[in-house]
Amino acid sequence: MSGQSGDFIKDWQGLAQQSWDAWLRQVQAAPAAAAAPPAGNDALQRTLAGLRGCFDWMQGVAAAGASQPGADWQTLLRSWAGSANQPFTQAFSGIDSTAAQGFVQQWQAWLQSAQAGGFAMPSATNGPVPAFGLQREQLMEQQELAAAIQAAAQANARYMALIQRANAQGLERLQARLAQRDAASPPIESLKALYDLWVDAVEEAYAEVALSDEFRSAYGDMVNTQMRVRQLQQRQTGQWCRELGMPTRDEVSALGARLQQLRRELRERGGNDAAAEILALRREVATLKRELAALAAKPAAVVKPKPAAAAKPKPVAAAKPRPAAKRATATAKAPARSAARPSSTRPRKR
Amino acid sequence: MDTPLHLDPIRLMQEIGSFQRKLATGMNQLRGMREPGYANTPRELVYSEDKLKLWHMQGDRAPTAKTPTLIVYALVNTVWMTDLQPDRSLVRNLLAQGEDVYLIDWGYPDGADRWLTLDDYLNGYLDRCVDTVRERHGLDAINLLGICQGGVFSLCYSAMHPEKVKNLITMVTPVDLQTPDNMLSHWCRELDVDLFVDTLGNVPAGLMNWVYLTLKPLRLNQQKYLGVVDILDNPVELENFLRMERWIFDSPDQAGEAFRQFIKDFYQGNKLVKGGLVIGGRKIDLRELELPILNIYAEQDHLVPPDASRALGRRVGSTDYTELAFKGGHIGIYVSGRAQRDVPPAIHQWLRARD
Repeated sequence: MSGQSGDFIKDWQGLAQQSWDAWLRQVQAAPAAAAAPPAGNDALQRTLAGLRGCFDWMQGVAAAGASQPGADWQTLLRSWAGSANQPFTQAFSGIDSTAAQGFVQQWQAWLQSAQAGGFAMPSATNGPVPAFGLQREQLMEQQELAAAIQAAAQANARYMALIQRANAQGLERLQARLAQRDAASPPIESLKALYDLWVDAVEEAYAEVALSDEFRSAYGDMVNTQMRVRQLQQRQTGQWCRELGMPTRDEVSALGARLQQLRRELRERGGNDAAAEILALRREVATLKRELAALAAKPAAVVKPKPAAAAKPKPVAAAKPRPAAKRATATAKAPARSAARPSSTRPRKR
Repeated sequence: MDTPLHLDPIRLMQEIGSFQRKLATGMNQLRGMREPGYANTPRELVYSEDKLKLWHMQGDRAPTAKTPTLIVYALVNTVWMTDLQPDRSLVRNLLAQGEDVYLIDWGYPDGADRWLTLDDYLNGYLDRCVDTVRERHGLDAINLLGICQGGVFSLCYSAMHPEKVKNLITMVTPVDLQTPDNMLSHWCRELDVDLFVDTLGNVPAGLMNWVYLTLKPLRLNQQKYLGVVDILDNPVELENFLRMERWIFDSPDQAGEAFRQFIKDFYQGNKLVKGGLVIGGRKIDLRELELPILNIYAEQDHLVPPDASRALGRRVGSTDYTELAFKGGHIGIYVSGRAQRDVPPAIHQWLRARD
């Protein structure tokens, strides 16, 4: 790449970006003639998100080359993955869902809605301030929440720093692997090949970081501090609900717990005798059914006067038990494939 | 030039162009596709309770096995991985071998299930399913085939109700949950699970999926989708891909109390190995398991490392213990071509010798 014109690459980069944007618009807008896809949209969205990540990656590599024409490959890689560009971190933060939404987005959304209702967030910078008077409890809880949010933000920063460390170590591994390639190794000629090498390197580095004691501690802190914030939010929301005469989460939970306990006790008290009786009856019915089936399998005996001439059903040959090889590794032949049959419908969830 | 990178701008432009052309063409395939269904092997509902359904799976021919086998799946994801599509179905292949197969669909827990404990799941739901199958066949004991967390459940159940289980098969089942390579276990070791469950109630499926994706963030969230570009013009492959995506993300929430107990006792306490496990007031000791056990694990399993599964062999009291190593991953053991070829016949042969 070093011998090429930087202007050309910049032009290409712009063109590629325009091309992607145009393509994305085309994909997102359903054609008039075609109905919108009824399902699979989640897969489509995820596919696009993942592909966009790959595209950004490729563009980043090309941009690094464009910004430093003539630079050697190691400089190029360092430039691409410099402090302003954390491709692994970006890929990581791209994994999201409502249930696992990032902490910052969650508490900001909550704070906005709370502020709309007249809630003022106290500062936690200088520690809690003793409160008194009619608003004492609310003020103390608000301060507690502010401190919890601050603790969670710090824990989140610590966690993200480890993700960035995995990013940096991944790049170092990639560089080392590229440097180790000898003259006999085929050169990397495509972005896809380079991308795959980068993924291998970063995943390895990430796995090491993720299995470290430091990560374990940071992960625990991140989750625990987030939960603490949510718990305090729930407590405040519960208070508002109580003041409005609405059922709270705690009340609903307590009812659920009592109901489940009642169900267990009912089963224990009344279920055992009845269950034993039902079990005995069902076994009897099952035995009778088998006897009936055996009788039904001998129609010839009824039609023909000579029972001896009637065809008897052959008993299924019992498989000869094989001695079990303790801790043996089993091998097997291919099974007979059953033909596909019309599908039965299964009710969708929820 | 002594450089490992030969990235020619014109070639790169062609590569990007080709990538985008494939996408544009393939999107027409994607647009018209309906959500792929699972294999939907014919089945009869034989028992239901709350969200749970017990299905009796129907094969093309009558079973030859005298003892039915009940598949016990994990609470995470759904049991339909075992019956994903007609040509990738553990259930169909077992039926074709002559096995009589039942399976439990745990359903999708909601707020009403928040207080279900492991005792409710094992000595309640699972026990009643086992009784139903026993009654239908007039048998004292049946076979259990436990998968992943369902394998842990099956081990615990067999220890608590040895008279009701004839043979036990565990697939990709963690026993030692603190092997050094177990990332999930490592992450939740310092989790305040009481605070976690008290705050969340049921654990959302989306959160569980996020955790699984972050085990291998680039491979599972990015690189995997790059490969889709190459199959966009292949309707069959594309449908297979979308079906798997559906299965991965169409997953149930976790009942809060059961989750709390599972994390505490198994991931944090590692009590299957260290001892001290009690469910519903009953002590569980793997050394008391004397029934025949077939333990199948996947050599490239990133969720349940092989060592986590192999630990079973050193801890059970059974003298009839067999291990089967499968060359593949946690999911490939059900859906890969090799799995269809190797796993069901191995299970069948092992069961037939003990039927």
